[in-house]
Amino acid sequence: MTFEEAQRELEQIVERLERGDAGLDEAIKLWERGEELYKHCVGQLDAAQGKVEELARRAETAKPG
Amino acid sequence: MKVEAIQYGDRKVYSVASFNRGVADWLSRLPTIWVEGEVTELRRNARWASVFFTLKDPTDGACLGITIARSRFDALRLDLSDGERVHVFGRPELFEAKGDFRMRALSIERFGLGDHLAALERLKKKLAAEGVFERKRPLPFMPRRVGIVTGNDAAAKRDILTTISTRFPAAQVVVAETYVQGPFAVAAMVDALREVGALPDVDVIVLARGGGSFEDLLPFSDERLVRAVAASPVPVVSAVGHEQDTPLCDLAADARASTPTAAARLVVPDAAEVLQRLDRARGALARGARSVLDRRRQRLEHAHERLRRAPALAVERKRARLEHSAGRLRALSPHATLQRGYAIVRNGDGIVRSADAVTRGDEIAVEVADGSFGARVE
Repeated sequence: MTFEEAQRELEQIVERLERGDAGLDEAIKLWERGEELYKHCVGQLDAAQGKVEELARRAETAKPG
Repeated sequence: MKVEAIQYGDRKVYSVASFNRGVADWLSRLPTIWVEGEVTELRRNARWASVFFTLKDPTDGACLGITIARSRFDALRLDLSDGERVHVFGRPELFEAKGDFRMRALSIERFGLGDHLAALERLKKKLAAEGVFERKRPLPFMPRRVGIVTGNDAAAKRDILTTISTRFPAAQVVVAETYVQGPFAVAAMVDALREVGALPDVDVIVLARGGGSFEDLLPFSDERLVRAVAASPVPVVSAVGHEQDTPLCDLAADARASTPTAAARLVVPDAAEVLQRLDRARGALARGARSVLDRRRQRLEHAHERLRRAPALAVERKRARLEHSAGRLRALSPHATLQRGYAIVRNGDGIVRSADAVTRGDEIAVEVADGSFGARVE
């Protein structure tokens, strides 16, 4: 699942929950699913950030003069 | 005049004198015309009947001997000196004694600055009408090789080379040294431009010459050179003379620089500046990547925050609805009625709903809002 897909689903879940028309059991399930999606997204962001910092650091050390 | 030939068998032979006389006679029938050139080797002697000078073509050095009667020359009061441009009116003539061809001048007019300017102006209009000045190509940002066409000991050359090697040490330069003034300048510069332009990897050419007199800079307005500049296969930067001079090659060039140093600055970038710009771009790249990540993270955190609150909100809302129902339920129970001051009276049979249901002395139970007590009917 891409970051964007996960993010979109997460936001749909939030909207659904905020409308308050889900049953109590369903709301709990949605919440759990939302948390899962959140963890997925954060993991992807952290990985991307790590790559950016690594590249920036490498560029810094390769600087001429 | 009759030219006598001696007959040797079937061969007709002329004496030198009669040959010269014959040619002279033929030449004298040619019309009088105007010829333009530069005065050189002017010889005037009070004892001579004629004044002599050589008229030189300033573009290719071709020469023509001129004679003019001294009285006529003096009457013109021209006070000519070597190097001056003149128009000579006369006819071709052969000096028979020597077999010298020359021109017999009848009149001489100084061709001055104003005439030069007018001639230049005419040429400029003609070339402009042809569109020779219109093509302006952008200069390469980083030429593989820079061609320089300039004089052989010119300070212009030194200025250009110094500036180029300071700004962009890795630049490749090819210098074509050539005449930049005098009779051979135009042809030499045209050749040099063509040769340098044809060299592999030359992406731009600088045509440079330091300041000089109006006459010194005339080759740079010569039609042949101007056309060669316009026809160059690679862009040409013209750096000729000083700021106020505008030779026509400036107009035909793709770019014009006020000095050779300025021309050098146009053709190569400043290496330090290029590196700095690259560095800034790299910084911006990292910043850009980080800001994309930051925005995503913010959006994600926002969604997460809402997600956190949502179930509690849902439960809360359901609880409220429950409380509401409970409240209505409670409102409908008898308890509320008791709180308004009513009481429920019970005897052994149950709730007493009529006065006839009890008799004096009966034990009854009375229930009020906060409890109950016993009583006896009186």
